[in-house]
Amino acid sequence: MRESRFNGVLFLIGLLLVWELVAQAELINPLIVPPLSRILRIFAELFWSGHIPLQILASMKRALLGYFLAAAVFIPLGISMGLSQTVYRLFEVVVEMLRPVPPPVMIPVALLFFGLEDEMKIFVIFFSCAWPILLNALDGARNVDRVLLNTARTFGLPQRKIIWNVILPASSPQIMTGLKVSLPIMLILVVISEMVGSTDGIGYFILDSQRRFRIAQMYAGMFALAILGYTLNQVFSLLYKLVMPWHVALMRLRDGS
Amino acid sequence: MNDSRSFNWQGWSVFGALLLLWECASRFNPDLQLYLPPVSQILGTLARLIVSGQIVTHLAITFTRFLEGYFLAAVIAVILGAVLGYFRFAHSLFETVIEFLRPMPSVAIIPVAVLLLGIGDSMIVAVTVYASLWPVLINTIDGVRHTERTLIDTGRTFGLSRRRLLWQVVLPAASPYIVTGLRVSLSIALILVTTGEMVAGSRGLGFFILDQERSMNSGNMYAGIILVAGLGYLLNRLFLLCEERAMKWRHGMIAREAV
Repeated sequence: MRESRFNGVLFLIGLLLVWELVAQAELINPLIVPPLSRILRIFAELFWSGHIPLQILASMKRALLGYFLAAAVFIPLGISMGLSQTVYRLFEVVVEMLRPVPPPVMIPVALLFFGLEDEMKIFVIFFSCAWPILLNALDGARNVDRVLLNTARTFGLPQRKIIWNVILPASSPQIMTGLKVSLPIMLILVVISEMVGSTDGIGYFILDSQRRFRIAQMYAGMFALAILGYTLNQVFSLLYKLVMPWHVALMRLRDGS
Repeated sequence: MNDSRSFNWQGWSVFGALLLLWECASRFNPDLQLYLPPVSQILGTLARLIVSGQIVTHLAITFTRFLEGYFLAAVIAVILGAVLGYFRFAHSLFETVIEFLRPMPSVAIIPVAVLLLGIGDSMIVAVTVYASLWPVLINTIDGVRHTERTLIDTGRTFGLSRRRLLWQVVLPAASPYIVTGLRVSLSIALILVTTGEMVAGSRGLGFFILDQERSMNSGNMYAGIILVAGLGYLLNRLFLLCEERAMKWRHGMIAREAV
């Protein structure tokens, strides 16, 4: 395993070196492929001047608001749909009708209602994160171990306590899966909505740099976005371990046996 | 999913009630009509646009781009995934590159594609290929790597050549993984085609929808959205149908194992 890591990193560095050399030798139009060193220099400049962090902050504010809003609405809805056949049947058709809409297509609708404001992006992210969160919460609640439920009932726990102390913990791994799947979707949609209608944010920054032919700056923006995506993933795994240490331990145990 | 296969009249009545609410709210409120025309009017617009053929061209263009991008991505990803999954050394080389590229949201590649390919079909197809490549690639690598050693060893014992081993043992064993990747990519491809058309396109449904919004023809815009949703729904259904046919042998196997 150690050796394979080493190979991979070496190969990556090799590729980046080839890029640098090709660009330095101007084998490809240097306007389109600037040298890597220049991209990194511009990235550092834009980072320390606070320009890129500000754009990322603007994007993250919208993204997280939409994301948490979706979580707040669709986790409870998913759980109630998973627990009650009546609730499930009430909402099933509406969900099935809305789900096939590709999320970017909602951007024009949001533009119509909210203009270029933050609410536009928040709505689009809310809409697109809704389905993975909802369906996973639904599945999680539906597949709670019958024995657990019956035991709780036998001990005479009130319905509210059953939901909080039995169903929620038992379905939390799957709820977390929904939240995890939604994370990259959130990032994609915030970038798209900023490309289509915005005056700031990292998506706007990248597209705007391209339109002004500041190509190195465009690549710097993409680099920042990749770092952001990576960081978000890491933060999520960390939170996962903090919130559900018992589940992590359980999985390790299962893998070991 | 549901054990009672009967018609879900509760669900349909909720859906119908919502549409009715929309219809009434819009009819009795002229201010709202600009943003949200009555449903009946939208459906009329959709019918008119289809009959006049105006929207059909956009639909055909979007569909063609989708097919090209999706299938190209599938072929490339399965081949690449099989190679990377099968040969340890190749995997060790590319592992870090893949980890490096994957966290970046794929849509960020659109400006680069515009730069390299200009605006047009090839740009949109290229972006679609790039984005829908990842799920299939990752799943294929996983599937090939998780192929049981016994299967491969048995194949070797029977003297199968490397190529036949790949085609007749490894790929079938990895196919459930590959199918999962293909299903995820299906919706990603549609997202990327419509996004590409919105950001830098002059034809196609994505362009049509955004263009109608900008010229405040909200009726046309909603008609376009209904059409895209219909396309997404049909593609998904088609995929499930094909999957069921193609993977029939596997369902049989799982059932036998359970017994």
